[in-house]
Amino acid sequence: MEAGAQNVAGAQSEAGAVERRLNSREVVFLLCILSLIALSLFTAFVTRMYHKKVHTLADDYFSYGEERFQAGDTAAALTDYQNALVYSPNNTKFQFHLAEALAAAGRYDQARPYLLALLSEAPGSGEVNLQLARIAAHNGAMSDALRYYQGAIYGEWPDDSVAMRWHIRHALCEYLIAKKAIGQATPAVIDLAENTPDGDVGKQKIVGQLLLVTGQWNRAQILYRALLTADRFDEEALAGAGRAAFELGEYKDALEDFNRLSPERRNQPDIARYDEMAHRVFVVNPFLGGLSQQVKAQRAANALALAETRAQSCAKQAGVSLAETPPRSELQIAYATNEKMSPDWSARDLQRFPDRLDAAMQTTFDIENAAAKTCGEPTGDDRALWLLGHSRMMVNR
Amino acid sequence: MVTAPVPELPDETPLAAGAATAAPSAEPEAAPVEERVPSRFRLRERWGTFTHQVFTMQEDRFFLLLAVLIGVFGGLSVVCFRLAIEWTQIALLGSSLVPSFPRVVLAPTIAGLVVAFLAMRVFPAVRGSGVNQTKSAVYISNGYIPFSTVIGKFIACALAIGSGQSLGPEDPSLQMGAGIASLLGRRLRLSQDRLRLIAPVGAAAGLAAAFNAPISAVLFIVEEVIGQWSAGALGAIVLAAVSSVVTMRAFLGADSLFRVPPFRVAGAFEMLAYVVLGIVGGFASLILLKWIVYARPKLMALPRWTHYLQPAAAGLLIGLIGIKFPQVMGAGYAIVDQAMHGQFTWKILLVLAALKLLATGFSFLSGAPGGTFAPTLFIGAMLGGAVGAIEHHFVPSLTGTVGTFALVGIGTLFAGFLRTPITSVFMVIELSGNYTAILPVIISTMVAYGISRAYQKVPLFDVLARQDGTVLPSLEERREMMSLAVEDAMCPANVVVCEPGETITEIAKRAEAAPEMALLLRMRPGEWWLLDREDVMRLAPDASPTTTAIRAKSKGPVPYLFPDQTLSEALAVMADWAMLPVANRANLAKLEGMLTLEDTLKAFRKAPKEEN
Repeated sequence: MEAGAQNVAGAQSEAGAVERRLNSREVVFLLCILSLIALSLFTAFVTRMYHKKVHTLADDYFSYGEERFQAGDTAAALTDYQNALVYSPNNTKFQFHLAEALAAAGRYDQARPYLLALLSEAPGSGEVNLQLARIAAHNGAMSDALRYYQGAIYGEWPDDSVAMRWHIRHALCEYLIAKKAIGQATPAVIDLAENTPDGDVGKQKIVGQLLLVTGQWNRAQILYRALLTADRFDEEALAGAGRAAFELGEYKDALEDFNRLSPERRNQPDIARYDEMAHRVFVVNPFLGGLSQQVKAQRAANALALAETRAQSCAKQAGVSLAETPPRSELQIAYATNEKMSPDWSARDLQRFPDRLDAAMQTTFDIENAAAKTCGEPTGDDRALWLLGHSRMMVNR
Repeated sequence: MVTAPVPELPDETPLAAGAATAAPSAEPEAAPVEERVPSRFRLRERWGTFTHQVFTMQEDRFFLLLAVLIGVFGGLSVVCFRLAIEWTQIALLGSSLVPSFPRVVLAPTIAGLVVAFLAMRVFPAVRGSGVNQTKSAVYISNGYIPFSTVIGKFIACALAIGSGQSLGPEDPSLQMGAGIASLLGRRLRLSQDRLRLIAPVGAAAGLAAAFNAPISAVLFIVEEVIGQWSAGALGAIVLAAVSSVVTMRAFLGADSLFRVPPFRVAGAFEMLAYVVLGIVGGFASLILLKWIVYARPKLMALPRWTHYLQPAAAGLLIGLIGIKFPQVMGAGYAIVDQAMHGQFTWKILLVLAALKLLATGFSFLSGAPGGTFAPTLFIGAMLGGAVGAIEHHFVPSLTGTVGTFALVGIGTLFAGFLRTPITSVFMVIELSGNYTAILPVIISTMVAYGISRAYQKVPLFDVLARQDGTVLPSLEERREMMSLAVEDAMCPANVVVCEPGETITEIAKRAEAAPEMALLLRMRPGEWWLLDREDVMRLAPDASPTTTAIRAKSKGPVPYLFPDQTLSEALAVMADWAMLPVANRANLAKLEGMLTLEDTLKAFRKAPKEEN
């Protein structure tokens, strides 16, 4: 009995100890939860204050950076942007502006990683693509530049996306032209032309110039003629239209356009050169309507004589004998034809037999072409004949 | 018979067992009472029921619940700690990346004096990084870390790091987490076993929140603190790490510590570039290691009054460096981020790596409280970037950017300096949120780790512990000891294998021919018996031609082993047996060799020894 009572007492005291331990744990656990709540609230408060402070610092540094960048102090702006990024490292706007400032300072290799990081986050960003395109263009990575330019053209722009896209297309055209990649520039310029608003004369003129540079004479002529319908005295349009007409072999139209220019503009070297050459072509051309048969024959005979002289000087320059039989080169063949036919192609004969005019002139063109191939493009009246030959060829085609 | 490990029984404490019996009887009565009593009493009752359920659950389950609690506490404390550092930095050095002249020298010097006073007089346990203190708690003081250490670490580290000392907040966060866990464990009266394991749980929480990298934190604790995967605390460690990171992210956001611009790594040939980085990183980590190992005891041996001045002297030197290169001051995460974005030339990167190495040495050796993780990341990033930039100069076709090399460099230095290769690899992935660099990181890390091990036998934390007069277990060595297998110790099967049908006469003849060999009876595949040689010899002269081996005295069945089993397992089953057969896993009848106690001990003796 006694032992049983002892057992009961022992069990009770053990249960009491357990209970005490349990209670103690309970209190500690409760305190833990309370302190956890208190610490969470404190941390939330402190974090909020910290974020507020940090945002203020980041914004302030960014504002300083903007001011300094606008003022042209790129080095100081860079430090400010970097400081801003310390407090807001994931801010894409800050990153972009830092990259922009780095690029402006010529530190392209440093700008590029930020831009690539931004691009990975926003592949459709027009601004980032454009900056990357500029850097790639600077580094001579043409394929990358084209890719990024395309990304910029078709990317997202925060505001005035149409105007921005036009500017990027323009920049792309300029870049390709500067790189002498005319084959790639041509579709880019056409794309630019198609995306140029009709009413924007300034942009139309820029496109016209690019069309001329890339040799798209027809499109250029259409564009300039359209501009002239709006303002028939627009000098730039006249000059462009004249140039396009010249390149298309429409020398009469070219001269007309050039004649409508002011003397100052007409005497500027770029116009004067074409004006003078158009004149020459006009003067040597025996095919013009309204000329008497005598003048036509005389012009043809003069042209033949000129071509003969050109052939001889070219052969001498190239060390080629024109007397070689049988003639093998184009120049020798054309010259031999002229030699053979010259008795029939005197000014008098050509006047008497107008049907010989075409053949005589064709021989002249052949000689000028062959000489141009052997000795380079001609100058003066030879060039006028050579150009005339080309324009005739285009017309025949 | 193979002795399989005995499954661990559920840890039923008397408390748990006692309470479990009480619980069912209480529940049925609760319902009717609930209908009658006022709501405040119902609430109290519910709380009582809840706590009762919580505290009467098995302790291992309660431990997991506690791990979550520790994780949340750890996460909150790390958030406060990081903010404290940032605020201190802004207050002492200013908000700009380039502090003004008087501040850059005065702040670390004066703060050094204050920190030294705190460390010497108020919180003596806050010196150093905190990793060894946590290990000490596990192996020496039964999980006890005084809470004053947590407070001291918080204040002193925030002041030291915020003033520009070249130290980081990760290791202190680890120790603070461990300290919080230790306090909770003690107050909640955990059993001795659990209390010992709770420090690593808290440490994982602290480190995970500091790095925003739960996997790396778990791996580091496993690699460096507890040294094994099978510890009972592993589940709790993972839970604590995850909950601390979740808590930290709720306050500071989920962004990775570093943002790396996109990159790709192409081609097998390119991996050679990372081997070079591994070699450079390995030797760089050795320089820092050797310097600390050499100079620390010398500085510690200086008169006590100099200890008050050492952090200030370190601060002064760092301040002087900071006049020209302020990047080396503090933890330097922003600078690492810049390096990853290719903002420095290779020359600057190299200079920054060298100066940071110097500055970190000054700070750490001076006894200023703070961690070595962040400076290691910094040095690694700069060195990696420099190596990458130089390699790019000679091999422009390399696809990896300077940022890629900087990222890989982080893991490389970490592996070389702290000797935790697996943590290093995962840390790089977690810190950058980028998996692309996994192969280069593995290659470079392993090379650096190999170099570091070859020229510095004892890892940093073990050396530091010994310098402090404690002998903590070398976890690197422990990992290797675990790899000693039966096949490393076993001898060729120099035994006479007999079959049950063999006659005693035949066996006796064979035994006479091999007097030194034991007689092993193979009853069936996987069942071996040791025959008593004397009894066989005794029976042999009178045995009839049909008397088989079964008639002789034998002992068995003998437990057998497989060649791949560990020697520790072998020792556990060896017990009363002089030798054990080693069988083939594919053919239990085939004997691969024999293992004796002597062979086992010989193998342990041959295992790599610690350097004194």
